[in-house]
Amino acid sequence: MKNEHYIRCHICETVNYDNSITHNCRRCHSKINPSLHASYNRTLALLITAIILYIPANLYPILSTKQFGTNSDSTILGGIIHLWELGSYPVAIIILVASVVVPLLKFLLIIYLLIAAKYKTHSTLLDKHKIFYITESIGPWSMVDVFVVIILSVLIHFSGVQIYPGTGATAFALMVFFTMLSALSFDTRLIINYEKGNNVHAS
Amino acid sequence: MIKEHELDKLIICKKCHTLHEKVKLENKTKAYCSECNVLLYQQDHDMIERTLALVITASISLFVAFNFNIININIQGLEQSLTLSSLFVVILEHEQYVVGLLFLFIIVIFPIGILFATFLLLFLMKVGKAAYLSKRLLILLAHLKPWNMVDIFFISLLVAMVKLFDIANIELGVAFVAFIFTLILDIIITKNLSFHDLWAIHSKIYGQIDEE
Ligand SMILES: [Zn+2]
Ligand SMILES: [Zn+2]
Repeated sequence: MKNEHYIRCHICETVNYDNSITHNCRRCHSKINPSLHASYNRTLALLITAIILYIPANLYPILSTKQFGTNSDSTILGGIIHLWELGSYPVAIIILVASVVVPLLKFLLIIYLLIAAKYKTHSTLLDKHKIFYITESIGPWSMVDVFVVIILSVLIHFSGVQIYPGTGATAFALMVFFTMLSALSFDTRLIINYEKGNNVHAS
Repeated sequence: MIKEHELDKLIICKKCHTLHEKVKLENKTKAYCSECNVLLYQQDHDMIERTLALVITASISLFVAFNFNIININIQGLEQSLTLSSLFVVILEHEQYVVGLLFLFIIVIFPIGILFATFLLLFLMKVGKAAYLSKRLLILLAHLKPWNMVDIFFISLLVAMVKLFDIANIELGVAFVAFIFTLILDIIITKNLSFHDLWAIHSKIYGQIDEE
């Protein structure tokens, strides 16, 4: 069966008839995005915000150590390299995947989906739906490093030695937040849009 | 254009968006997507009772996880313990307000909200009352679902412990065990409950309601 004329409500999962005009879900009355153009722009704007936040998240220290009066800062990458040198390979890999690979992969996948909504690409409809599914499922895993820093700052909290979260942690947490919002505002109808022959600009 | 009740016989796979026509299932059986093998819907007569029991147990165990020591560490005689309240005290002390606020929502408010809303929803559906409220709860749950990060917090806890392994003696607290317990229950509950099935049960219990 072809499903070009049906859409799945992202809130209650019911099947709706796609008549391309502003309307609400027939069961839960959630708004079925009135304008694909708005969804496209919102996703893009939130994604750009997230990418911009990713820069200070990496440049500023995510964690600072105060040891008998002397301060030492550590960025995400610095922390990973340090762990690797210490020989804690599993932890280094977990942090690398959560803080570097997952966010970058998510940026790239959303960018790809946005491009595919406007221009013809080689991937099939099925591929694109699966890409979006992956983008949604890997969502919050990048929060690991921020949580670790907070947990460490509670435990290493003595008069002589202290660990505390740095500016990088705030930027990173916000980056994850905006990436998730970006994925949530992506309307799956943008995926089938090109195939239907009316891409975003034409409508 | 197809009529509305005809649309109810259709289902779109959440992963590959293939459109399927639903078939009637026997009790205790499940339907999977022919393209990608994702669970589409299932038929289970005592799903509500069973999940209700699980949700109550999960709430108790989350309460324990939030109120007792998660881990205690000992570094050359210096002791420190991690509890949820000490987390917020330290976050505020370091003036990390944005992180603190995000943390409050994704670790405390949303998980509690999800459990409470699920409990209330299942309870209302069990007694067959308050059709409109249970509908709102279903919508609320769909919005809250992506923001629950208790599982990621637990993984972070493990990572932090490995980092401290060389310099400190680590002792697991009551809340640590409660956290594991909550997570296992959470996985079982999520596996049991799909929004598609809940909505199907909802319309079976209350019939079609129109508030417009
Ligand atoms: Zn809906
Ligand atoms: Zn599928």
